[in-house]
Amino acid sequence: MEPYDEEQLLRNLDALLDLADPVPADLVERVKFAIEIEDIDVEAARWERSQLAGVRGDSPGTITFYVGDLTVMFNVTRTGESHRIDGWLVPAGEHGVEVRVAEHGSTTTTSDEGGRFVLTEVPRGITQILVRMNGGTPRTVVTPTVVL
Amino acid sequence: MGELGTTSTGVPWDGLQGTERHAACLTAARAGNSAALDVLVAELTPLVWHVARGRGLDRGTAEDVVQTVWLSLLKHLDRLEQPRALVGWLITTTRRESHRTWQRRTDHVEFTPDVVEQVPSIEPQPEAVALREERDRQLWAAFGQLSQRCQELLRLTVLAGRAEYRSVAEALHMPHGSIGPTRGRCLTSLRALLDEDGGAR
Repeated sequence: MEPYDEEQLLRNLDALLDLADPVPADLVERVKFAIEIEDIDVEAARWERSQLAGVRGDSPGTITFYVGDLTVMFNVTRTGESHRIDGWLVPAGEHGVEVRVAEHGSTTTTSDEGGRFVLTEVPRGITQILVRMNGGTPRTVVTPTVVL
Repeated sequence: MGELGTTSTGVPWDGLQGTERHAACLTAARAGNSAALDVLVAELTPLVWHVARGRGLDRGTAEDVVQTVWLSLLKHLDRLEQPRALVGWLITTTRRESHRTWQRRTDHVEFTPDVVEQVPSIEPQPEAVALREERDRQLWAAFGQLSQRCQELLRLTVLAGRAEYRSVAEALHMPHGSIGPTRGRCLTSLRALLDEDGGAR
C-alpha cells in the first residue's frame, strides 16, 4: 500500500471520527431539554462524576453536584416506577428545589432551614435539578441532565 | 408574488450557511425564538463534543461539559457582542470548562493549560470496539497516543473541512485545503506512530 500522505491521513481520520467517537445519540435531545428552562441567568452545576458511574445502572445511590459555594447531595431510592429523593443543601437554608424529568413535567419543593428536602414520586428518566437560592442575590443553579 | 412559488419557510436563517447561518440563528434566539436555539444546538453540538473529547475528557464527562457550555450560552445570549463570533465563543468556553473539569479530576493539582495540552490522553480508546477494519483500529490507536493539543487540533481540522462546518473553518481561519505548520507537525507525529506500529498501512 502507498504510504499515508497528509491529505489522505486527514480523509481517513474524517471517515473514522464519527465511527470511533460518535456524539452520543441522545445528546442533542438532552441539551435541548436542559436549556428549555424559564430562567436564563443560570449557573451550571457540575456532577461529581465518579459517583455517577454507578447511577446509570439499576441502583441509584448518593450523588452530589456543586457550583461555587453550593453543594447538593442527594440519595435516590427506587419506589416502584418512580423515585424518592432525599437531599441536603449546603449552605443550608430555605431554597426552592425543582426536579424536571423529560416528558413528565416537574416536581418542586422547598428545603427546610437545615437544608434538607424530600421529593417523592419523582418519575424516572432524563432528569435535571434546579435550585433557586434565596437570600442575598437570588441565584438559580441548574445541573446537566442525568438519567435516573 | 414571486415568493409564492418558493419553498421558503420564512425563518431568518433559511438558505444561509456557515457563519451567516449561525449568526442569524443567534440573533433570532436572542429575540426569543427557541427553534433558532434548537438549530444551533443540533448543528453545533458535535463541535462542542469534539473539543471536549479532544481535551482528554472521558465520554461521560464530555456529555456534562457539552450541556454546561449550552447552559452558559443561555446566560450569554445577550452578552455576545458579535453574533458572528458564536463558534469561536463555543470553542473557547468548551476549552475553559474542560480545563476546569480536568483540574478537579486531577485532585486539585494545578496544571497550566499548556501542560495539560502536552500530556498524552489518559483516556484509552474503548470506542475502538466499533472499528472492524484493522487499518482503522491502528489509525485510531495512533491518534489516541498524540498529545491532547494535536488531538484537538486534528478533530477541529476534520470538522472544519466538512461543508456543514464552514463556520468552524471561518472561526479558526482555516482556509479550505490548507493544513498549516502546526497541523502538519501533528500529522507527521501521527504518521510516525503508524509506522512504529509495524508499518501496516
